[in-house]
Amino acid sequence: MFSYYFKLGVRSLRRNPVLTALMVLTLAVGVAASVSTLTILHMMSNDPLPNKSDRLFVPLLDAGPLEGYTPGEKPDDIQMTYQDAQNMLKSGQGVHRTVLYNIAMSAEPPRREIPPQMLSGLAPTRDFFAMFDVPFLYGQPWSAQDDARAADVVVLSRKIAEKMFGNVNPVGQRLTLKGVPFTVVGVADTWKMLPRVYQLAGGSHYGQDEEFFVPLSSAIRHETEHHGGMSCSQDIGPGFSARLASECTWVTAWFETASSRDRADLQAWLDNYADDQRKLGRMKRKAANHLYNVTEWMEYTKVVGTDSKLQTWLAFGFLALCLVNTIGLLLAKFSARASEIGVRRALGASRSEIFLQFLIETGVVGLVGGTLGLLLAFGALALIRMSNGTMRAVAHMDWQMLGLTFLLSIGAAIVAGLLPTWRACQVTPAIQLKSQ
Amino acid sequence: MLRMTNLSKVYRTHMIETHALRGFEIDVRQGEFVTVTGPSGSGKTSFLNIAGLLEEFSAGEYVLDGVNVKGLDDNARSKLRNEKLGFIFQGFNLIPDLNLFDNVDVPLRYRGFNAAERKKRIEDALAKVGLASRMKHYPAELSGGQQQRVAIARALAGSPKLLLADEPTGNLDSQMARGVMELLEEINAAGTTILMVTHDPELAVRTSRNVHIVDGQVSDLVRRGATLVDTSATA
Repeated sequence: MFSYYFKLGVRSLRRNPVLTALMVLTLAVGVAASVSTLTILHMMSNDPLPNKSDRLFVPLLDAGPLEGYTPGEKPDDIQMTYQDAQNMLKSGQGVHRTVLYNIAMSAEPPRREIPPQMLSGLAPTRDFFAMFDVPFLYGQPWSAQDDARAADVVVLSRKIAEKMFGNVNPVGQRLTLKGVPFTVVGVADTWKMLPRVYQLAGGSHYGQDEEFFVPLSSAIRHETEHHGGMSCSQDIGPGFSARLASECTWVTAWFETASSRDRADLQAWLDNYADDQRKLGRMKRKAANHLYNVTEWMEYTKVVGTDSKLQTWLAFGFLALCLVNTIGLLLAKFSARASEIGVRRALGASRSEIFLQFLIETGVVGLVGGTLGLLLAFGALALIRMSNGTMRAVAHMDWQMLGLTFLLSIGAAIVAGLLPTWRACQVTPAIQLKSQ
Repeated sequence: MLRMTNLSKVYRTHMIETHALRGFEIDVRQGEFVTVTGPSGSGKTSFLNIAGLLEEFSAGEYVLDGVNVKGLDDNARSKLRNEKLGFIFQGFNLIPDLNLFDNVDVPLRYRGFNAAERKKRIEDALAKVGLASRMKHYPAELSGGQQQRVAIARALAGSPKLLLADEPTGNLDSQMARGVMELLEEINAAGTTILMVTHDPELAVRTSRNVHIVDGQVSDLVRRGATLVDTSATA
């Protein structure tokens, strides 16, 4: 009977085109509003590394001053000091570990026709590429020896490589960065991590891709300024080396363990490390030391702002309003069908058959509303991309959201159709048949 | 085929209680063609609705083709209605946006016949009422008499044991009414029991038996030659 009722539902759309158009449009607008905001929320809160997000950990130590500290409060700083970061690198903990910070360097392209320009990049250690699954178009990450000797090597993004060298493999060629010739050792293929979870301090969480990567040690050797936030609780002396030795926090460390079960071992090591540092007169707050995996880190750093969540709730509130309107329209549509219901009941349809028929009919309205809602949602997302640069990366619909749109639309229509359908079932056939 | 014993139907509002049928007794045998007459408000429609399982009765007993319908749930009543009864209404009650084929198809869908069986039954039923060539037409494209023929085809397609007709010629001119009546007589001659409500005394005398209802009670008349004889006093 499903196909029969579905066919009747499609036919019923033509029965009262104005009422049908109103219902479909009401539903479509509500679905489009909720789906577009939900899409953005979904992309913002997306787990960028689902295969290893429970094995990647960022440590958080509280190196803040004792003044103004309330025991139990969490540190408001999400970075760590350079000296702690260096100790993390030397710890040998986990199967991989890296320390990184945002940098910007002026680049002098080898092609004379291209003017010098500032590039945004990252200064990590070699393990970063394996830990965050960076794909390579050419070459490979720099070696551990390059890290150790602070070699002037660079991994370029595909976009920058093509811009600087054209459509050729540039591995082995040199690119002058900050006045220093760097040897290209690899080209990272187009790679977009949403959100940019490895470095949530400073810059956009969803902004542009890294344009280049140089070894942390090389960036430090060239006294490359960090390109992001830094938190200092006291004045530091002049010079780059003073910053390296200070209690200012400006770098981020990551560990990768072989299994999520190794977390306890890593936590134990971190606690021991903090105790050792306290014995050396540091970390006076005696605060708890935290380890966050990727999803916990996104939650802790509030990658998805309350504004985005509020917008989504408001959009769903709007959908609820649209559904109330749809209920009214369905009631009007179905009440005009009372005589047909009477005839069907007389010819052998039970109440449950009538219920099924009209519920499927509302499902058909939902399907059409969903299709139109999807088109409107695509339009809304395109408008968001055009009007808001930071939203460009997240205002994209994926297959999950596409499927959800139809489920939401059909589900919403069916919910809206429950009351009108129930009312349709209550039609007294005898009265309808006589009143014809 | 249909037996009602001491049946009553009371309509209640918070203020008023109306007895539509009281102590209602009737026994319709297989193959009979019974007309039901009576003044307006006498209870004819209530009787037909109860006979057609479209309304519940308040008290008494109703046995339809050996099935005591008292206490049956909606699903069982709907199934019984679909399998044993056919309906013909004064207003035809065709579904306007379905063509003739699909209109006749409606009760067969609820019966669960497969597509081939349904097609055969629809074509046979429409052929029987002389509308086989118009099965793709819509009701609005037909005359009143033709629409009533489609309604008869729809009622017949499921091979019902009892045909319930509520003033089937009420909306037709005399020529069309005659045609419909002749068709019903043919159907009855082929073995289908018919119970027909009518206001037309001419139609009433054409059938073997006339049940006259007054104030919710039955006065049974049987044709004896050219006249109708009241048998209820001796029953």
